[in-house]
Amino acid sequence: MPVSANAKSGGAVRKRSVEHPSPSDKPPYLGFGLGLRPQHYEDILNGNPAVDWFEVISENYMIPGGQPLRILDRIRERYPIVMHGVSLSIASTTPFDETYLAGLKSLADRTEPKFVSDHLCWTGVHGVNLHDLLPIPYTREALDHVVSRVQYVQDYLKRPIALENVSTYVQFGHSEMTEWDFIAEMTQRTGCWLIFDVNNVFVSAFNHDWDALEFINATPADRVVQFHLAGHEHNMTHIIDTHDALVPPEVWELYRAAVKRFGRVSTIIERDDHIPPLAELVSELDEARRIAVEMLPELAVR
Amino acid sequence: MSDQPTRKVKTRTGAGGKVKAEALPARLTLAETQSLFQQAILTGDERVLEMLLDNSMTTKDTLFSVYKNGYSGRLAEILANDYEVLHTYLGDDLFHEVAHAYIAAHPSKSQNARWFGAKLPEFLATDARYRERVEFADMALLEKALADAFDAADDAALSIADLGQYPADAWGRLTFAPHPSATMLMLRCDVLALWTAMKDGSEEAPPLDEGTVQRLIVWRHAGVPMVRMMGDEEAMMWTEAGAGKPFEALCEMVATFNDPTDAAVRAAGYLQGWLQTDMLAGAVLRPLKAVRQNKRREMALKQR
Repeated sequence: MPVSANAKSGGAVRKRSVEHPSPSDKPPYLGFGLGLRPQHYEDILNGNPAVDWFEVISENYMIPGGQPLRILDRIRERYPIVMHGVSLSIASTTPFDETYLAGLKSLADRTEPKFVSDHLCWTGVHGVNLHDLLPIPYTREALDHVVSRVQYVQDYLKRPIALENVSTYVQFGHSEMTEWDFIAEMTQRTGCWLIFDVNNVFVSAFNHDWDALEFINATPADRVVQFHLAGHEHNMTHIIDTHDALVPPEVWELYRAAVKRFGRVSTIIERDDHIPPLAELVSELDEARRIAVEMLPELAVR
Repeated sequence: MSDQPTRKVKTRTGAGGKVKAEALPARLTLAETQSLFQQAILTGDERVLEMLLDNSMTTKDTLFSVYKNGYSGRLAEILANDYEVLHTYLGDDLFHEVAHAYIAAHPSKSQNARWFGAKLPEFLATDARYRERVEFADMALLEKALADAFDAADDAALSIADLGQYPADAWGRLTFAPHPSATMLMLRCDVLALWTAMKDGSEEAPPLDEGTVQRLIVWRHAGVPMVRMMGDEEAMMWTEAGAGKPFEALCEMVATFNDPTDAAVRAAGYLQGWLQTDMLAGAVLRPLKAVRQNKRREMALKQR
């Protein structure tokens, strides 16, 4: 069903052309993947690692040319690719950077990813980019704003996008709803897909004294197209999402609950720092496979 | 949604003459919230804390500091990755100081962190704290050029075989386009030896000759960024070729630059080197008429 034409950017009103995706349009199940990192290019190209798909950081390939794009072309000949950005700034109150959107679309046209994703956050206002995934107050106004921006981007890219919940460290006193209610309404109104970052849910739940299972249970199961798994740094009074360590036992435990609730969902392990040899990540990915099969025995025959 | 908050958050002067933050309105818009949040990270104006909640274990100050501390640390790390050899040369402490000075002077305006450090060479060349150390800016310039060459556009390189399609008597009318990855650098000291020593892990920096202008050409060959020195004559010819001068004119310029007897051989040698190492992206055969008109124009200018 078409959604109302009220997406705005820089004052422009565009007619929506992207249909509200139905569950039958859901991106395909991809299996168990990894975040693609330059440190592993050689091993991937020269070997045959047991990885079903790769997620690429969009901005790393939004460049004029050179080796990274050529390597990406070679990798995507052999593996499905998903584009995952960090600078869309979907919740920012600054109008979109059209050059950025054009670059994103151009990369998507070139690499034909299974889907294009980013984060439910903002990265800066007034022309400044803080290069961080910043939190939003969960207000009606913020929700209407984010919905209009998601619609604008989907219209621009001519495809539904997927948005990921970020780790947050603060909560706003003027929030009017929970993060999960915000996300549920956002996906219902825009048709965007969801990335359920299990580690981020764990981090935010600890930092804000809420129950991660509540988040899981309130998230619309038919909208989740990807799980992210990662590690973090525990500071006792709060947790910092570092994505630089092994997936800890408590995140595996939450993953178990997520698989139980959402079923068969494409899963990746993300490591952004202290990047180990590829074989170590592949071995860690086996743990995700093992848990998923334990929860969903039908996956074993795949 | 406007970029600017609809209500300004004001400040007033308190009893002690100290600027004191006025209480924030009860319901801030999203734009106001984001402005205050960003301001707190960039300037330390922490009125944003009034909007935030403690958790059951620690205060909102501690929680907010994750964003505040993360900002400069993350950007400094981006600079350290982009200027790896400069980092080695300066050492952790001085590089940290330079990085934080740059971050304060040039908040990122780019959506892509790849371009955040683009102005570091210019900053080092002009900032009063660092401009006397010419090798800082020169080394940054070299590292930036190498990074730019790495991911420059993929235009096909011109080969010697490509030139074979033109009859030999037409070569004089050929103009050449540099490959998008190629940049010539004019440096104020002989930084290449220093850069090479640092990159190779040398513990001692070779002595610098600050009086020597060094011309370097940086480009990409077989996917790999390359750098080499360029002599005065070759650099002149490269610059003029980039300005669209046909090969015949380039040979004449080489003849007036140095010994005219073997000028054509020297010019052909430079051209051959560029072609063999993928420094050119294309050639265009200028119409005979255009070359003659241009010659007449140049003659007229000389006679004035």
